[in-house]
Amino acid sequence: MGTARYILRRLIFSAFLVVGVSVILFSMINAIGNPVEILLAERPGMTEEVIEAVSQYYGLHGTVVDRYFAWAWAVLRFDFGTSIIYNQPVSEMLVLYGMETLKIQLPAILIALMLAVTISTVAATRQYSRVDFGVISGAMLGHSLPGFFVGIILILVFSYWLGILPSYGAYSTRNPLMGSPALDALWHMVLPVGMLVFFNTATLTLLMRASLVEVLRQDFITAARASGLPERRVVFGHALRNAFIPVLTYLGILFGLMLGTAPVTETVFTWPGLGALYIMAIQQLDYPLIMGETMVITFMLVGATLLTDIAYVLIDPRIRLG
Amino acid sequence: MDTQVAPSPAAVPEALPTRPVRPPGLWRQGWYRFRRNKGGMLGLALVTMVVVVALLCPFIAPYAPNDQDAMLRGASRAAPSLQHLLGTDRNGYDVLSRVLYGAPTALAVGLGAMLIASVVGVLVGGIAGYAGGLVDEALMRFTEFFMVIPVFVVILAVVRLFGIVVVGTALEDVPNLNLMTIIVLLGLFEWPPIARMARAEFLRLKNAEFVEAATCIGVTRRGIILRHILPNALPSLIVLVALGIGGAILAETMVSFLGFGDPKAVSWGQLLYFNYEALKVAPWASLAPGGAIFLTVLGFNLLADGLTDAFNPRLRG
Repeated sequence: MGTARYILRRLIFSAFLVVGVSVILFSMINAIGNPVEILLAERPGMTEEVIEAVSQYYGLHGTVVDRYFAWAWAVLRFDFGTSIIYNQPVSEMLVLYGMETLKIQLPAILIALMLAVTISTVAATRQYSRVDFGVISGAMLGHSLPGFFVGIILILVFSYWLGILPSYGAYSTRNPLMGSPALDALWHMVLPVGMLVFFNTATLTLLMRASLVEVLRQDFITAARASGLPERRVVFGHALRNAFIPVLTYLGILFGLMLGTAPVTETVFTWPGLGALYIMAIQQLDYPLIMGETMVITFMLVGATLLTDIAYVLIDPRIRLG
Repeated sequence: MDTQVAPSPAAVPEALPTRPVRPPGLWRQGWYRFRRNKGGMLGLALVTMVVVVALLCPFIAPYAPNDQDAMLRGASRAAPSLQHLLGTDRNGYDVLSRVLYGAPTALAVGLGAMLIASVVGVLVGGIAGYAGGLVDEALMRFTEFFMVIPVFVVILAVVRLFGIVVVGTALEDVPNLNLMTIIVLLGLFEWPPIARMARAEFLRLKNAEFVEAATCIGVTRRGIILRHILPNALPSLIVLVALGIGGAILAETMVSFLGFGDPKAVSWGQLLYFNYEALKVAPWASLAPGGAIFLTVLGFNLLADGLTDAFNPRLRG
């Protein structure tokens, strides 16, 4: 099978996935009853007229199937409806809050990747040394530390005890740091990014080190060494590239994990991102927002998996497509 | 116990008079290797500690889990003292007692979720691997579907929605229904890795020589799957189960921490949920359950790591 056909097949499968998740969630939400009735349950004394108007406003006419298709058709035009609690277009809110989420997650994954490559190279080239043992133990400990627990400790140490970093929010409501809003935003990012970096670095280091140790043991490395290449070129030119392949596949999963646990991260740091918005939506049963959020998160997750799959094929010619 | 559970191919010479000493079986060999792994042994110790605490918590906890006397004395959120070794929390509960009583909840979540996940995973993966062909293709696509969906986000929504759906039905009276929902959901979403591993193992084993031999002497298909393939696939699966238990405990904690947990359950996540807002004035009430989660998850991760080394020496890095 050619690469193009493989990519096409993955694309189609991904589309099925997104649709599948949306169907499951849409039926779940509708299983609890007509959204209008739930919406109006706490507001007794509504006239038929008002109920009619509300149904019209939120597009709640017809059967579940009708409503699903209406919703899906709108989603294709990036219209996720109107949030019930905020009375704002869901798509606009998703972009707004999504930016805040990516603002901490993308730097975190990049920093973690750089750290992990450095640390694991140091460890793997000194396999079974004290340094290597220290790195493995540290990474294992870090990997087992729940992210939110790390966040709690970071807040305690840097915000409450040392008092040098803000413990919540993405911006200061007044008096930004040194009068610069950009600097202020960066200042607020330090702890959440730090927590994500901590978690990601530990996991990526474990993976990268194991992979590098495995590659360094292979024949082509011995051949490269035998042909007189300096060790530096063997490690950086030959081994690292090959060791990176399993790490790459994991990056997609890691990104999904970060996005999926964004509600936790953003609760710990009161960060105004997708995760915090999602919790609000679920608590208040704001179903257009729930649907929109889940769709965007699923879409990003599926997209990340798809991208890593494709990159995987392009990097490693040995991969059999199928 | 070893050879009964796992009639490994190495055990065949037992009938020959020239080999009176039976070679150690799969499990005993694994244990010999496991014993040498310091990390694995530390993990085993941590897990044992959690299990012991879970079994003995009524005897070792200084207070009952619902004892709110401190509240009446105006001593909620009191700092650690001799009377309350880890302080008290917002509701006047003794933090140490709540943390100890959280252990059985955590284990119930981890074991319950993984039991469901193992049954589903082994069924799906086993059938896919053994049957092959179109069945395999279909089941593996199904598995992939579950691997890509954002599990945690979906679980949050479903827990909340299900809590509303049951109102007014017979299910409403089930004690700890909310916790059970979380356990079942975690189980239903955490099986794909197990299915993939089970499929790989079934594929590998169904063509193994000892399986062929068993077929030749007329063992039924059921016998082959249950007595020959499954026991030999178990070591690889157990590693995933150990990892999954830690993961499920962590997931339940996070669900509870966000406020979607079981309000009646004594769990570490609940403790965090109630006390996180007061992190600044009463850090002990958040640090203690957080530390308990850390030690438990670390224990299961180290145990899984040790088991990987013990059963798959090829993979040792």
